[in-house]
Amino acid sequence: MTKNRIAVAAGATALALGVAACGSSNSSPTGASGSADTLVGAGSTLVAPLVSQWQPEYDKKAEVAVTYGAIGSGGGIAQITARTVDFGASDAPLTEDQFKEAKGVVQIPWALAATDMAYHVEGVPSKLKLTGPLLAEIYEGKVTSWNAPQIASLNPGVTLPSTKITPIHRSDGSGDTFAFTNYLSHISPEWSSKYGHATEVNFPVGVGAKGNSGVGGAISSTNGAIGYIAIAYVLENEFDFALIKNAAGQYPEPGIPSISAAAKTLASVPANNEVSIVDPPASAPGAYPISTFTYALVPEESPKAKTLKPFLKWAITEGQTFGPKLDFAPLPAQVVKADEATIEKIKS
Amino acid sequence: MARRAEPPAGPALRSLSRAQRGLADRLGEPGLRALTWAASAAGMALIALLVYKVFDQAGESVSHFGLGFLTANVWDPVSRRFGAASFVYGTAVSSLLALVIAGPLSIAIALFLTELAPRRARRPVATLVELLAAIPSVVLGLWGIIVLAPFLVNTLEPALHSAFGWIPLFEGSTSPFGLLPAILILTIMVVPIIASVTREVFETVPGDLKESALALGATRWEMVRMVILPYAKSGIVGASILGLGRALGEAIAVTQVIGDATGVHASLFAPADTLASRVASTYQGATSTLEISSLAYLSAILLVLALIVNVIARLIVRRSTLRMRRAGPRPGLAVTTAEAEV
Repeated sequence: MTKNRIAVAAGATALALGVAACGSSNSSPTGASGSADTLVGAGSTLVAPLVSQWQPEYDKKAEVAVTYGAIGSGGGIAQITARTVDFGASDAPLTEDQFKEAKGVVQIPWALAATDMAYHVEGVPSKLKLTGPLLAEIYEGKVTSWNAPQIASLNPGVTLPSTKITPIHRSDGSGDTFAFTNYLSHISPEWSSKYGHATEVNFPVGVGAKGNSGVGGAISSTNGAIGYIAIAYVLENEFDFALIKNAAGQYPEPGIPSISAAAKTLASVPANNEVSIVDPPASAPGAYPISTFTYALVPEESPKAKTLKPFLKWAITEGQTFGPKLDFAPLPAQVVKADEATIEKIKS
Repeated sequence: MARRAEPPAGPALRSLSRAQRGLADRLGEPGLRALTWAASAAGMALIALLVYKVFDQAGESVSHFGLGFLTANVWDPVSRRFGAASFVYGTAVSSLLALVIAGPLSIAIALFLTELAPRRARRPVATLVELLAAIPSVVLGLWGIIVLAPFLVNTLEPALHSAFGWIPLFEGSTSPFGLLPAILILTIMVVPIIASVTREVFETVPGDLKESALALGATRWEMVRMVILPYAKSGIVGASILGLGRALGEAIAVTQVIGDATGVHASLFAPADTLASRVASTYQGATSTLEISSLAYLSAILLVLALIVNVIARLIVRRSTLRMRRAGPRPGLAVTTAEAEV
């Protein structure tokens, strides 16, 4: 655990350094290799590991050098609105205002990821069972100790200590926050009306930490902590994680199969491509309830359309095969179809 | 001297170098003037532009929230309501308490180094204390997460709570992230600044004053209390305010340990946030122009605070220099005043 904690804290520090550097992160569009063409993108940190897998592969395949600055979803939206990049990336779908401001930007869901509930309670084993309403109560500060009757009744046979619960949240805007609060808003009307869902919300209690690594650091150094954190990060650091009850009353383990099961329940994709699969219906017993799509943001009229369109098409099809290794689930077929239709509309 | 030793080649060489020097003078003088002038102008322009840009960015938020921003205790990106109260509180409490701890500590270090330490130990100890200031703040923050936080939550906070739990400052449950670790980290950052300036001030205390106090039968403690401290008072205040300026603006190390939470809590154990830390942690992911503008508003508040603190420090330092000059023709003092002004 100690080693873990150091690694986690080191990560947090690296991230903090990143902030310091981010002021000048309008990375210049330099295609390092002898690629024929270049694309410049910026935004979401959640999708960054996947994009960095794509970069060399796509360069090999199409001789296009893709530069990507992981400056955060908010930054991605701002950059594409100002048209300083060829594509942006955001973990939350654009709001109406953002669409208006961006003047002719379309969003393309291009990756699917899940958020885990990780915790650290001395004397408690992994895979504790929890429910959505209970998570909402914990994050509202209504359930405050690990041996609360609501937790005990879900986990017969587990000895729970009276340790205080410390809910941990992301202090920076993040796709994980969006997925988690979107889920809480679905489950709890009270959460929805009081705090809502976004990449950054006003958490009433708990500790904020920056980045996945910051949250990881806070979890490992706090006895009694619970936090939402990208699934890949949980597996990598061997954190204890909770099983969350879905609409069918099951407790599926978070992972590619259960995320894909949730994605399969998607009925249709609306015209603006905003898709949400949190709290999937009871018809999918194996569906994990907290997963989220992350979006590419592209202008409808782009001078780079000729280069951009094939790249996006590749990303949502062949590019998806690089996902599972990083715990991104493949996009469901309806989403790919809707994406392809949207990509077709991009003009130069 | 060497020139006089070189007989015949001397004058020729000298005239050559004079010619060269003339050329260098003709080009160099205005060149140097232009260069230094441009550099100073650039420095001033940079400050002006920076202040302008921060206030310009903050404009949207200022017109939206007005001065009510200062007292609103909310940061809600979803409903787009923003306010600075909890960050102003966090900044004030963390910096001032850091100063309260660091002040006496630094004075003690400075006294030890100027009066008590064996002469051979002074330089290494002083260097080590000043090296504290060279630790990058991220590294200090990292140390805060890995070492300080577990110690606080397991040892120090329970002890403080059981001894002083009746004081609101030490109420409530313990947490590895909160005001207390931020205060301690800031203390570590501020001590080398205050200690080194205070030490220099102590060194200007005239030896004859100290010696006459001792000759009159004062103990060393009485000499410190009645001669050194009064003499150095304004210097100590100036040093402390310099330290305060450092503490106010620290962002990264604070973000790492303070727990980034909104709300005003009396307890030092509770997670909180400061102006600088909120800007550092939130700017990257800010979701609306209003939020970005509100972050600029926070920066503007911080900028104004820093300017005020700086001006106060300068005024105090100037007053103390004036006072020393007025203290007049006493021989010992005159010498040290001259030295101090050099």
